[in-house]
Amino acid sequence: MSEKTTKEILKAKAVPGERIPLYNPQALKSIEKEFARWQNTVVREQDRKNWAVTPRTILGSDIPRELLYTPLSNRDFDYMSDLGFSGEEPFTRGVHSNMYRGRVFTMRQLSGAGSPEYINRRIKMLLEHGATGANLALDLATVQMFDSDEPESKGQVGTVGVPVDCVEDMEVIFRDVPIDKISVSIVTHYPRNTAILFPMYLVMAEKRGIPWDQLPGSSQNDFIMENLVRSALEYIPPKDDFRVQCDNIEFLRKKVPQWNYVTLNGYNLREWGSSGVTEMAVAVANGIEILKDMLRRGMDIDVAAERLAFFWSPANDFFEEIARLRAVRRLWYRVMKYRFEAKKPRSMWMRCHTQTSGVSLTREEPMNNVIRAAYHALAAVLGGAQSLHVDSYDEAYSVPSEEASILSLRTQQIIEAETQVTQVVDPLGGSFYVEALTNDIEKRILDEVDEIERRGGIIDAVASGWLHTKIARYIEKEQRAIADGEIKVVGRNYFRDPNLKMPDVWVHEYEEEIAREMRDKLARLRQTRDNEKASSALEALKQACKRGDNVMAACLECARANCTEGEMRRMFTDAFGLWKSPIYVK
Amino acid sequence: MARQDKIRVLLAQFPLETHNRGVITVAGMLRDAGMEVILLGNALPQHVVEAAMQEAVDVVGISTYCGGEVALGEDLLAAAQEKGIKDRTVFLLGGIFPPKNGPKLEKMGFSATFPPSATRDEIVDAIKKAVAYKKCG
Repeated sequence: MSEKTTKEILKAKAVPGERIPLYNPQALKSIEKEFARWQNTVVREQDRKNWAVTPRTILGSDIPRELLYTPLSNRDFDYMSDLGFSGEEPFTRGVHSNMYRGRVFTMRQLSGAGSPEYINRRIKMLLEHGATGANLALDLATVQMFDSDEPESKGQVGTVGVPVDCVEDMEVIFRDVPIDKISVSIVTHYPRNTAILFPMYLVMAEKRGIPWDQLPGSSQNDFIMENLVRSALEYIPPKDDFRVQCDNIEFLRKKVPQWNYVTLNGYNLREWGSSGVTEMAVAVANGIEILKDMLRRGMDIDVAAERLAFFWSPANDFFEEIARLRAVRRLWYRVMKYRFEAKKPRSMWMRCHTQTSGVSLTREEPMNNVIRAAYHALAAVLGGAQSLHVDSYDEAYSVPSEEASILSLRTQQIIEAETQVTQVVDPLGGSFYVEALTNDIEKRILDEVDEIERRGGIIDAVASGWLHTKIARYIEKEQRAIADGEIKVVGRNYFRDPNLKMPDVWVHEYEEEIAREMRDKLARLRQTRDNEKASSALEALKQACKRGDNVMAACLECARANCTEGEMRRMFTDAFGLWKSPIYVK
Repeated sequence: MARQDKIRVLLAQFPLETHNRGVITVAGMLRDAGMEVILLGNALPQHVVEAAMQEAVDVVGISTYCGGEVALGEDLLAAAQEKGIKDRTVFLLGGIFPPKNGPKLEKMGFSATFPPSATRDEIVDAIKKAVAYKKCG
């Protein structure tokens, strides 16, 4: 490989000037001497033998922990180089100088499941209860790009989110919602469904007379989600999907400048089955590959990087979660500063949305999940996250009920208004333990990025099935550790109630009514629209895919011509062909 | 155990399911218990039945997280009935679904259903019992 890896570049370029250690050598010497005495005389022998233990928890990282951390754990700690001040390089302490005093984390809860009309009411209800953004969850048919009336969509319309087939649905969902004032996250995980659905949102805005440059919000648009994490009937080849991802970014940067065009989704990768280190390494490697592509397209690095965002999963290991956010913030700064030579501080910010871990929740004694999610959320806030979704206690049963969604929002409000943790920036900065862990995690993330780059980069790491295998092994190993009781899950395998009864939890009922309404609407649409115009827009999309023209621009014309999601999906598979996921035999 | 004695299991998801952590987890459990596991991936109910016939499996396990399990489960069993494999094949379903749908699915013809709280031992035991029961007729 001729090209240098990110790790090599950082090693060559990011040589700090002479380090100025915070701890004076004389003090360290005396601590060392006293530490040896204490360890050998006061600490019990069994604790001395098991000085470093590896914590075992769901989605854990296997990083060993010592019994006690001291200045010796981080001898050459250099305050200005390693931490600095909040809002300044290297951003370890936070991307804004005043952090939550300036702007509290966005409290973003998923809008739930149901018909477009119902979701419109639900978004307005959450905004009335103090939510500061909307998070639009889509039903499975929409996520997988099938129309509500296709045979594959049977039983799925409106179950885990809202169905969107065409522009008309977007108009209903966002009726009377001030989309130029509140930030809207449209949970289009994949490049292809971003390319298809976001233009429908733009056409809706256009019809309401709202200029695109006034739209705040975000799309996920992550090819890792499409080709690696999700299960699906059909996939397009990873290299083509990566291109769609980058076409979307180029279009959004130019036409919708306030939109966060990619949310590098570590969350779902980790929830699928990986340590917090792999979660971040894969997202960082994808971010690097995207920016390389934007440079090839002739975009200025500071324009390209400005609105890139990450999405992380704070899970059980409390201090590790805090350290992870600090570590990846510093690493991303180094990547942007030294690998890409960005000039604007904003380009160096690792901004992130976080969602508390769902896999860590249990079906047994579901109220325990309220406690779990609160700790996950607190870790996200202590780590300096920009935005937060708290999982609801009933997630192992169904899509959250309204009552559970409000409780999640209340959890965030209690952290914000009552605990006072938001008053002080990066309160754990300087902790011997947290700083040692931050250093260790940063190094581990970079090592895994290096491994991916040495395998030919993130696209090959996906296309070859290497990452699929890595995750599948992690899942199997974790399952064994839970079955053997090595990983303790309270109420499940640890102090399990022998008389356990499953409680009565409210669950969503499937409403056949929604599917019928959607089918009727599609039939009406296909009768009333200009079908010739729709067909030629679709043909133009297929040609854009083949020729290498920007696909989002082509999808925009399809949306204007009232094409449906399923019709657009088929153009992509016609043009690119199908790819087989390495997980499956077929 | 000789190869032909091994219990053969096909694991699949309905067409639009996005999750596969469940099938990967269960595949590991079943392989540890000496069974042979085939991961089919997402498929329409009739295609699951066709794959079950091609692979000559004893057990078909469906993983579902996102709803639709009753409507699609019905289609699956109807396709199995039509192809004549319903009586000799064990059908199982696991994942996230409303608790009251468990009994409904079992009444419909699934030998057992497993919520996320199901343990390795529960799943392996249920499969062994159901396969033995089917073989005795």
